Amino acid sequence: MTRPTALLTLTRRGLCHASSPRAALPLAPRTHLRQPQSQIHTTTTRPNNRTSTPRAPQTTSPTPLRLSHSPRTYHSDHHPTQPHDYTNSQTTILSAALHHVPAHGFSRNALTLGARDAGFLDVSVQLLPRGEFDLILFWLASRRGLLRSKVESDGLFSAPTSSTTTNPSGAVRSVDDKIQILLMERLRMNAEVKDQWQDALAVMSLGENIPLSLSELHALADDILNLAGDKSVDASWYSKRMAVAAVYAASDFVMTRDTSAGLRETEEFVARRWADARAVGDKLTGVRECLGFMGSTAVGLGRSWGLKI
Amino acid sequence: MSSRSLWRSVQTQTRRRLAVAETPYRCFSCTRQAQAQPPKPTADEERFTHFGFQNVPESQKESMVKTVFSSVASSYDVMNDMMSLGIHRLWKDHFVRSLNPGSALPSREPAPSGRGWNILDIAGGTGDIAFRMLDHATNINHDAATRVTIADINADMLAEGQKRSLQTPYYNTNRLSFLEGNAQSLPSIPSDSVDLYTVVFGIRNFTDKQAALHEAFRVLKPGGVFACMEFSKVDNALFNAVYKQWSFSAIPLIGQLVAGDRESYQYLVESIEQFPSQEEFRGMIQKAGFLIPGRGFENLTGGIAAIHKGVKPLN
Repeated sequence: MTRPTALLTLTRRGLCHASSPRAALPLAPRTHLRQPQSQIHTTTTRPNNRTSTPRAPQTTSPTPLRLSHSPRTYHSDHHPTQPHDYTNSQTTILSAALHHVPAHGFSRNALTLGARDAGFLDVSVQLLPRGEFDLILFWLASRRGLLRSKVESDGLFSAPTSSTTTNPSGAVRSVDDKIQILLMERLRMNAEVKDQWQDALAVMSLGENIPLSLSELHALADDILNLAGDKSVDASWYSKRMAVAAVYAASDFVMTRDTSAGLRETEEFVARRWADARAVGDKLTGVRECLGFMGSTAVGLGRSWGLKI
Repeated sequence: MSSRSLWRSVQTQTRRRLAVAETPYRCFSCTRQAQAQPPKPTADEERFTHFGFQNVPESQKESMVKTVFSSVASSYDVMNDMMSLGIHRLWKDHFVRSLNPGSALPSREPAPSGRGWNILDIAGGTGDIAFRMLDHATNINHDAATRVTIADINADMLAEGQKRSLQTPYYNTNRLSFLEGNAQSLPSIPSDSVDLYTVVFGIRNFTDKQAALHEAFRVLKPGGVFACMEFSKVDNALFNAVYKQWSFSAIPLIGQLVAGDRESYQYLVESIEQFPSQEEFRGMIQKAGFLIPGRGFENLTGGIAAIHKGVKPLN
């Protein structure tokens, strides 16, 4: 019973990162990195849970858990955050269902088994009107929270250099390096469910699910840039988020087909795409500067001819 | 011009019929019930409730509804098809598919009696929903243990359902049973015994809807689901105008022509009008103690009908 509970706390901790910041993590981040599959796989083989105490009471907290899309430090009436309001019962079922994802995929069967584990009936999956898409959204939102907690409480950047970067340890990392580390860290989380992830991507790309999938992708890009310490306040605020989102989405596909050890191919892919994105950005800046220069020259030339510009 | 005057005369006729409180029921099948109406209440403080647009004593509504449905039982499907242009079949299919009855995964219950879902279909006299759910469980989820109890207050509707069940593979098996009873109190059904409670196009005829919701809460197991499909409020103003025209002028007329029974269909459209809106009804479900998943309701065909769901919490 210790392992599943550990994962559960891990998941819940990731979810409510804003409220419960600095408790000790049951598993060190490095351990987690080396054994990405172990946590979930062990739990699928555990015996029938129904005879033991139901999990519902211990995970129930008085206020409903709120997975806001982007944790903000300000409040705006004009742009209220679009929350994923999961009630306690929903969170309980979804957390339990995540244990069955490696075996059953992001499917109704996983939800049903999760509901049974949590002491509910088969029919109780009606609590989740979007069905398997709710499970996928829960996965995305909880992993996003986990990423934030890894940076904020576990010091992802202060840890000795993982294979992700070529930076010598101890040196101050640039924003670009941090973005790459975060991208890879997030992709490694998906690698836990690699075999099921293509199905999940297919569900996300269904017409009715696209808006929520995109807003979740945007929230992830926003989080990554925020965590990487990006301070831009001009138009690049948007272009950077779009670039991160595009690189992440493309790498996600590559990851699902990556059989190399430690996701080396995905890592190289991310590095190449990010270099491309930077190159394109540089080129655009160059073109803009060039056009601006030519424009001001033309204005100067016109003035020298006596035009009233 | 002549068509317009005809139209007007139909409308005034409708209104006049409304004003007359005790119109004799003309159809042959319901004369007995109409004659055997309970005596008028003597006490002034008796509570009143809606019967279409009329206010009637609560004690009488039950028998009046009974009369209506006794008279429409035999032509029920034809009428539904004509009134909704066949869409009600799509709604019912969607309703059953979204509930996904039956367990596709092997049950963890050791006892065979505990396997499968125990479904209670209230006001499901003709078996429309019950047969669909059993078909879905058997053919889609390969679950031959799921069973349905059809409950209805009206013996004529139940008889119609029993007649139809002869055509299904569930006739005379333990997967299908019939129960005559009032949804506001179901003493023969133990507490915490039902997985799924459905009521489709029935709850607007109940005398006390809140009491029925409380009774549903009682019989459901913790984690069990209350699902209800009912005519509701159209959200688009333009569509609403067209729909109201159709329901108040065409449906009673069709009832008159096809079933020879205008009053029953006049009652149907009036009871639809009297039914609370989606939000109000969701509030009633919540008040009975249910958890509301997501928004709590799903509109069908612009809100002509709506599916409401509630889940009984674990302790």
